[in-house]
Amino acid sequence: MNKPKIVCFSCKFSWSYLADESKLAAEISNWIPIICAGKIDAEYLVDAFLHGADGVLILGCPEGDCHYQDGNIETKKRLALLRQALAVYNIEPERIRLVLARDPEGKDIPGHIEEMAKAIGQLGKIKTAKA
Amino acid sequence: MTGKPKVAICWLGGCGGCDEAVVDLNEVLLTVADAVDIVLWPIALDFKYDHVKAMADGEITLSIINGNVRNSEQEEVAKLLRKKSQIVLAFGACACFGGTPGMANFRSKEDIFNWVYKDAPTVNNPNGVFPQPVSNVDKKELTLPAFHESVKSLNQVIDVDYYLPGCPPPTDLIAHAVTATLENKLPMKGSSLAPHKALCDSCPRNSTKPQKIKLTEIKRIHEIEAKPDICFLAQGVLCMGIATRDGCGHNCIDINLPCRGCFGPVEGVRDAGIKMISTLAAIIDAETDKDIEKITEQIIDMAGYNFRFSLPSSMFGSLKNPE
Repeated sequence: MNKPKIVCFSCKFSWSYLADESKLAAEISNWIPIICAGKIDAEYLVDAFLHGADGVLILGCPEGDCHYQDGNIETKKRLALLRQALAVYNIEPERIRLVLARDPEGKDIPGHIEEMAKAIGQLGKIKTAKA
Repeated sequence: MTGKPKVAICWLGGCGGCDEAVVDLNEVLLTVADAVDIVLWPIALDFKYDHVKAMADGEITLSIINGNVRNSEQEEVAKLLRKKSQIVLAFGACACFGGTPGMANFRSKEDIFNWVYKDAPTVNNPNGVFPQPVSNVDKKELTLPAFHESVKSLNQVIDVDYYLPGCPPPTDLIAHAVTATLENKLPMKGSSLAPHKALCDSCPRNSTKPQKIKLTEIKRIHEIEAKPDICFLAQGVLCMGIATRDGCGHNCIDINLPCRGCFGPVEGVRDAGIKMISTLAAIIDAETDKDIEKITEQIIDMAGYNFRFSLPSSMFGSLKNPE
């Protein structure tokens, strides 16, 4: 397959808050900095797949260190339920990845995306989703 | 001709429950029948599609269509009524969202045919006969409606003016919809003729809902003796009321069954099933991966539960669209 398309959401409180956002955005395609990982509704992820994403990467604050107390945990629970629902269409759980860490300059974001793209490349295209 | 407004009532891929709901209008139906000319109602009256075909375009004031669209006949009737009607009302969960038969979209047409005509244990079909749209018997051509690849809601086939959800819609909302049409008091095109808020808003059990619901285990309704007046979610039973439009009249809640979501999403929401996932996550009381898994694995058939009535029209359902 061609290089997998990864949509990346990252929390602004732990990721890239010291970086030049526009410069980083020019480097990373489909990168969406957001206010909190807990802001990511299950709808955003389904929408990403409907728009042709092969995988979605979510970067949130380290556990116990969410700016809004538990946004990262909320996302973790949401992903668990969504992965369970997606299984009905054989959409593999690995297509949604959550990384909870801190990276103020956002240096590691391209690496995380690259690593996930490699793993998704092994899975191939989503067989049932619209491209 | 009487000069009264003409009304058509028709079923497509439905069970007849929606037509029954119209009959349940009782004496209100007599008033309606006095005020309008019913020009088509296959389940109750002997009018033919040819009668409708002979009408001028837009001659029917209101077409009340229930059921989803799964085959070519249903599609043809839907398109005919659209052409002849000024207003089309999608009536009931099947017409509005695809309904419970819409769960067939979890499988392909091929899977369904193989099971029903070949693989199911009660099937005896040694010659492998499958229904065909056209077959020749004794030099005569026999036809059947063609089975489409997937179940569709009415608005995926024709332009729909108004929606009245429910399985079936309750009589008070039916009477309101018909009266509003006759009195020309309909809201903006595309509106659902039902309340805007979630079912919890009017649920008689709402006052027993704790400040914060904390689900530590999830039970199916038959696994517990559910208390008849306590919020289902507070009892650990999944209830779609938090993500479902109000207006049903609490028929399920009143007989001690949780909401299954037949009224579809609340106003402004695209997909009730996906919102249910987000909402449910917020009330699961767990933090570690292990604890989260322990609770979530108690939900049997997550997708079936959340999209019981709405799969064909949902975003989630679009993840698999064979056509």
